[in-house]
Amino acid sequence: MPELPELNPVIHGKLRLALLSLLAGVEEAEFTWLRAKTGSTDGNLGAQLAKLEEAGYVTVEKKFVQRKPQTLYRMTEAGRAAFLEYVQALKQMLGGSIGD
Amino acid sequence: MTANAEELELKDRLSLIETMIAEGRRTTESYGWTFVLWGVAYYVAIAWSSLCKYGLAWPITMISACVLMALIVWLRQSKCGYKPKTTKYRAISAAWISMAISMFVLLDALGFSGKLADERIFVAVAATLVGTANATSSIILKWKLQFACAVVWWAAAVISCFGTGRQGSIAFLIAIFLCQIVFGVYLMIREANARRQGANHA
Repeated sequence: MPELPELNPVIHGKLRLALLSLLAGVEEAEFTWLRAKTGSTDGNLGAQLAKLEEAGYVTVEKKFVQRKPQTLYRMTEAGRAAFLEYVQALKQMLGGSIGD
Repeated sequence: MTANAEELELKDRLSLIETMIAEGRRTTESYGWTFVLWGVAYYVAIAWSSLCKYGLAWPITMISACVLMALIVWLRQSKCGYKPKTTKYRAISAAWISMAISMFVLLDALGFSGKLADERIFVAVAATLVGTANATSSIILKWKLQFACAVVWWAAAVISCFGTGRQGSIAFLIAIFLCQIVFGVYLMIREANARRQGANHA
């Protein structure tokens, strides 16, 4: 079996992978929604999202809705490509033990 | 780390991806009540326009239904909090909003210009447009049951063209009952079951 380091290390982190998977299914998502879905703390979530933003995998938009601040995250094209590449690599590494 | 442990970890990652993608999509499905609302609105408009012979019965009822729907959506969003939108949701919304605007513009233009004297034309136009939106939505969702609803609407449109005014009206009333009320209630039951299952898994 190939070694783990062949997988993209930015995506491989459990929380970052969960975040990208959530963002892959929606157009954009708010910070609080991502926090609720992942059960993560504000600090950890913010740090992991910052890493994904730094890698160019997500973009962030801050705005006010009904006078309340809203932080929205959206997956970029580069993020989507990297995510798909990661899933393909994962499936290849697992070989025939899983289906598509 | 042993090969077996590595494989387990990779499988765990794959399972996490599937769970999270499903979780993101699960939160945006709740359309059943809109079918029932519009079905009731159609019946109100039909009853009002037939019994009182009031020309503005349809536009007033349709605008009221729009306002009521916007209010319910706003209240649900306030109660349930932020829910992200999927591309599929946007595509389906686009089909229904386009249909609603087309129907409002065309039927009002026909009505106010005096070219809607034959009620069969009204039924044919309305049923065709609603059928189109149902078909578009069913193709996006790959859902045969909703496509069957589209067929029922198109059948009502054809009957109104070839049948008498009474036959056209009956076909329209049946299509509203089957494709708005029955389909909407069925959808609401399905959504409630899905929510219950989601709560059990949480």
